[in-house]
Amino acid sequence: MSRFCVVLIALLAGAGGCSRKEGRRVVRFLDQPDSGGAWKEIIARFEAAHPGVHVELVEGPPATNVREDMYATSFLSGDGTYDLAYMDVIWVSKFAAQGWLRPLDDRLPPAARADFFPGDIEGATWQGRLYRVPMRSDAGMLYYRTDLVKKPPETFEELAAAARELQKPPGLWGFVFQGRQYEGLVCAFLEVLRGFGGDVLDEKGEVALDRPEAVRALEWFAGTVKTISPEGVTTYQEEEARHAFQEGRAVFMRNWPYAWSRLQQEGSAVRGKVGIVPMVHAPGCASSATLGGWGFGISSSARYPEEAWAFIEFATRPEQQRLFHFRNGAVPARRSLFEDPEILKESPHYPELRRILQAARPRPVHPRYPQISDAFQSHLSAALVGREAPAEALRRAAEKIRAVLRK
Amino acid sequence: MLLGLVLAVPLGISLSQGAGRFGELVSDPMLLKVAGTTGAFAAASVSLEILLGLLFALVLHRTFRLRGWVRAVALLPWALPTAVMAMSWRWIFNDTYGVANDLPLRLGLLREPIAWLGRPATAFAALVAADVWKTTPFVTLILLAGLQSIPRDLHEAMEVDGAGPVRRFFWITLPMLRPAIAVALTFRLIQALGIFDLVWVMTGGGPADSTKTVSLYVYDHAFRYLDGGYGAALTCAAAAAFFAVAAGAGALARGRARA
Repeated sequence: MSRFCVVLIALLAGAGGCSRKEGRRVVRFLDQPDSGGAWKEIIARFEAAHPGVHVELVEGPPATNVREDMYATSFLSGDGTYDLAYMDVIWVSKFAAQGWLRPLDDRLPPAARADFFPGDIEGATWQGRLYRVPMRSDAGMLYYRTDLVKKPPETFEELAAAARELQKPPGLWGFVFQGRQYEGLVCAFLEVLRGFGGDVLDEKGEVALDRPEAVRALEWFAGTVKTISPEGVTTYQEEEARHAFQEGRAVFMRNWPYAWSRLQQEGSAVRGKVGIVPMVHAPGCASSATLGGWGFGISSSARYPEEAWAFIEFATRPEQQRLFHFRNGAVPARRSLFEDPEILKESPHYPELRRILQAARPRPVHPRYPQISDAFQSHLSAALVGREAPAEALRRAAEKIRAVLRK
Repeated sequence: MLLGLVLAVPLGISLSQGAGRFGELVSDPMLLKVAGTTGAFAAASVSLEILLGLLFALVLHRTFRLRGWVRAVALLPWALPTAVMAMSWRWIFNDTYGVANDLPLRLGLLREPIAWLGRPATAFAALVAADVWKTTPFVTLILLAGLQSIPRDLHEAMEVDGAGPVRRFFWITLPMLRPAIAVALTFRLIQALGIFDLVWVMTGGGPADSTKTVSLYVYDHAFRYLDGGYGAALTCAAAAAFFAVAAGAGALARGRARA
């Protein structure tokens, strides 16, 4: 059903593109509904400074994967609906490998990239060329209850020990995270895997999932279910985990920065009792958050690439990212904004968040990332629900991912 | 003519794209797995729907007060959009808030909440339950129409001969109902084998791929992996297989009636 919707919407949007008026230069992109009105304001500011150029935001569905399909369908058919691609970090290599994006190296020279987080730039790069300018950053982290936890844990053992000591199931569990079989599961596990010193691919690009550190990571991760995490964690996405934590039913939670403001809302059971730290790590290893985040690329079929670039350059400036933060709750992708006094006043956790984002790393950058992720998800899920032993699950996932890379 | 064109053009395009990729279908272990899941889902849900649908149709066939009203209400689940109703089922089976845990816990049937959608077997059963809930009304409707076309004098004649209601059911109702059952079976099998939205919303194919169906698998290849060729090969093979199964089952149900 949703397939047909995607095609239908793409067709309708395409039809709209054909009927544009002469002499009007339109630059179009797709994002989720503009909840706080930041895009409207940014576009108004831009249009006031650039007469004759019109920027059109197509407000698509909130589900990220559906918008990815909308872009992909439009680019596949070459209908030129979208001049800009407003992309999640994991789309970049897939879109770039298809030749759907223009490289931006000359437009954003290395000196101009310094203010962005290194992970955001790494995730925007495919085969040595830059295809995306970061607009908002995102990374996973560990939320904890400041009224229960005296000293936040730093290692996996400390986290498990504190969770076990403080929890009183079923009313209060130790640790909640994203355990349903979907992209979020990969993000959550990647932090554990890297915290144990492992990774999906090593420096040479070889699959490293069946190595001992990866097995230790999955043994720890799968071992949380029914000991410090409720059994239902295997059905949780971000919102289920947030609800559990917000209602005071969990001591620790792995989630994205968006949860912070919701946890501090009026009526939240944990308001004023929330702290964040980087995800824990094994002794001798470093924490590494999984990077999310969004940014702009220019489509190969863009009719007005110069105007498109002008908008990117304008929208990703500190003033606009600042507005985007206040209106739409986005985490800025520019490091300088983490010292902005007004932002700090409203978000006292930002110095800690900056530390987390600075060390955040993207998921494996590969055009066939969706296949890699699916193979990974399926076996991670099998390990969490006890269908496969951790070593077995990783061996099978590694085999499948090797097959995907060989293609 | 027009219908032929509408069918032939996309089919031709898919076939030309998928040609040469059909060989890969045979050596795809994942396809075997998702086909098995899809087949099991269709078999479980459709057989339950036919049984329950027959039961409801027999009840609704009797004359009682408010019959029209009850018939309208019975159709409601079928009229709801699948995605909306799948969202509700996801909440019903939620481990903390779900009614599927709350009731048995209060009745003392369960000691602790079950993550219904978090275990392969219960997730599968939950999908079947949701599908049965939604589409039994459709089967009921078709079987009810079938029941109403059975002449009353047949029943009266057998009653005069001293046959009880059970014998009359097996000797008159069931044989006369076979064409209607065949129609319901064919329609339901085609829909159940192609199930997408319900699974997409409720489990996303998890846990551990245990609820991934053929349609989800096709979607992965065609839209997420951008492998249109293999997606097209999968689509053609799946469409042919679904059609064959549904037509075969329908013919079987009808054929026995003639014998």
